[in-house]
Amino acid sequence: MLGFSNISLSNFLFWATQKKWFIYAIFIGFILTLLPTPNGLSVEGKTSIVILFVSLILIIKEPIPLPAIAIFILISQIYGGVDNVDGIAKSFMSDAVFFIMGSLMLAVVIIRQGWDSRIALGILKITGNKTSGIALGFLSISAILASFIGEHTVAAIMLPIGMTLIRFTSSDISKVKNLSAAILFSIAYGCLIGSVGTPSGGGRNVIMINYLNQSDISISYFEWMIKTYPFIFLQIPIVNWVIIKTFKPEYKILDSSIRKLVIKVARSRSITGRNTLTVFIFFLIFLGWIFFSEKFGLGTIALTGVFLYLLGGFVKWSDLNRNTHWGVIILFGATISLGTSIRSTGAAMWLADQILYFFGALIESVPFFSEVVVVLMTTGMSNVLSSSATVAVLGPITLNLVPNMLDIGLLTAMASSFSYFTAVAAPACTIVYSSGMVKAKDFIRIGFRVGLVSIVLLIMYVNIFWPLIK
Amino acid sequence: MKILIAIGSKEFSKPTLNLGMKVAQAFNAKTTIIDVGEKISEFSSQLVELAQDQMESWDFDPPGVDVLEWAFNYLSENNLIDVTQLETGFPKNRLIEDGEDRKMVYLSGTVCEDVNLILRNGDIISELRDEVQYGKYDVTILGKSRKRNMSHDLLQYINSSVLIVNNYDNQKFDKILLPLNDANGMMKVAKYAIRVAMALDVGIDIFTVINKKSLNQERSYIIKKVIKLIRRSGVQFTNEEKEGEVVDQIIKKADKNKIIVMKASNMSPIKRYFKGSVPLSVMNESDVPILIVK
Repeated sequence: MLGFSNISLSNFLFWATQKKWFIYAIFIGFILTLLPTPNGLSVEGKTSIVILFVSLILIIKEPIPLPAIAIFILISQIYGGVDNVDGIAKSFMSDAVFFIMGSLMLAVVIIRQGWDSRIALGILKITGNKTSGIALGFLSISAILASFIGEHTVAAIMLPIGMTLIRFTSSDISKVKNLSAAILFSIAYGCLIGSVGTPSGGGRNVIMINYLNQSDISISYFEWMIKTYPFIFLQIPIVNWVIIKTFKPEYKILDSSIRKLVIKVARSRSITGRNTLTVFIFFLIFLGWIFFSEKFGLGTIALTGVFLYLLGGFVKWSDLNRNTHWGVIILFGATISLGTSIRSTGAAMWLADQILYFFGALIESVPFFSEVVVVLMTTGMSNVLSSSATVAVLGPITLNLVPNMLDIGLLTAMASSFSYFTAVAAPACTIVYSSGMVKAKDFIRIGFRVGLVSIVLLIMYVNIFWPLIK
Repeated sequence: MKILIAIGSKEFSKPTLNLGMKVAQAFNAKTTIIDVGEKISEFSSQLVELAQDQMESWDFDPPGVDVLEWAFNYLSENNLIDVTQLETGFPKNRLIEDGEDRKMVYLSGTVCEDVNLILRNGDIISELRDEVQYGKYDVTILGKSRKRNMSHDLLQYINSSVLIVNNYDNQKFDKILLPLNDANGMMKVAKYAIRVAMALDVGIDIFTVINKKSLNQERSYIIKKVIKLIRRSGVQFTNEEKEGEVVDQIIKKADKNKIIVMKASNMSPIKRYFKGSVPLSVMNESDVPILIVK
């Protein structure tokens, strides 16, 4: 056909099959571009919504590499006339991107320090030998650690501890399926629950702070904690109960497994002075986040920590470079830039108006309805997108839904942690899933229960607790 | 001759490995056994790798190593590899990353040339296609998938002959079914059929479905040549012609006890993509192993 060999035709078909979602996305984008611009929406606003729609399809289906999606978002904004080169470049790099970069690098340093064995001992000392208590211990420790150092770091540290305990209980995993699920979901969900507790718990929190700052609203590290941390303590026992009820462990007591784990930990390498120094530096970063983040930004402080670790030789640049996914960082920069454009072109306001118009009187007559809409929208998206990308694209819209921007912003950030339903959305869930000890259907089974409970709890929490502390 | 055997789990891949190694033995082929792990979202891939590094420090193997270890044990128990130089079973420490996003271990075969074990991660079709292109394999062997479009994608995009191991049971298969038509390349198909028949120690049923489009003269010439070739090989055979719809007749004839060996379609990839093909229909609808020779 036209001189093309069968092999080149086959190669083309293969490319088209692999990139079909890219082709669909571009086609849909093209059709949307041809539609007339709705009243009340600027041409730039419409273009930014089209780019948002196309980008969402690309991010969810990943038909092209993440850095390619990022580049697509950036160049399509410039070619589409959403903003000029300087404007897009300026919005591309922000403190939120610094933070995501810094937190991914800090994860490499922290994971390598051998704290896992100490944490294992700590959990076992607190929880005793009852399985439900141990699951609670994993959930609580994961949540508390994740609230400060990020969910992905904690999941990577906790996973081998949980798996070792399971392996010591039975080498045949099929005999301890429920126990495996109970321990591993406690780790994954603990990480998700904790990630809302402080701004440093996840990149999405910093992205939201970034958007709030753009609207001249400021919130300190400590103020964020006061508003969100009690929710962690509210969720922990309830989620623990749901997990244990869903996956009734085959063993009620894990006496001998614990003893074996303690012996294994005792034999592991001891903590050195350098390891302690890394903790000390991290403590300094933590203090920096609490006291100076409003002035210098969380990202700057995280990068300062990375600088200190590199300066002290605690980590090699080659190690950081190898383990940091630059594509993810570039993509977050691009999505934040798109979010900023959606806001500045008035598209966010227009989209928020459409939501208000769609639900009409319900929002005014039904109590908490707007909160329910935001929580459901955010939860839905955060289970197919990454939670940071969800906040990056939804944040500017939800901030325009109700007059109290701070509360709705926090609510969006908190609901974006409800990535309980799938193994692919949150890094903590993917890390646990990669162990092969839990199945995708387990996520659906437990995810719906924990998700539903969390949504109800969150709506109650923001309407009961937040008015009390105002 | 190079053969690629794709396995996926201890539970379901035994028939694939069993038949695959028999075919490899028949061809005295250089054999590679590959496990393609699940694709991880790019968002988390680096973090998952970091977590897996951490797991290795607690003596946990990366995902997929257990499947390769099972394959190793299977090969070892059946004396298909030379384990005399290996002291402690599966040589995990020799599973090396070769810079092509895959890990591999080299073993020396006994009944066929070298046997390599490879671990890859990602989309199965994409990874198999890369591996076939990289290793220039002649035959790819894998179990039938329940995934829609999988058979189509295999035939369309894997640049080697494909053997789909479907419901394979050692005792059940007593014949090779060799459907013939007047297309080019039938002699190569016949040679493959003879090799497989010899490996399994079974006969061949030559089968021709007559429809109006077939050129009788051409067909009878091909059948004569194929019969001559099979007779010379010493394999028992029968020859049958039937009228009717090609796919239905082949499936009916294959029943549940014949392994089908047939030629891939000569249509252009674009036509094949939209219209499908006889081998694809047979592959989709039959309940027996089928080797499509390209």
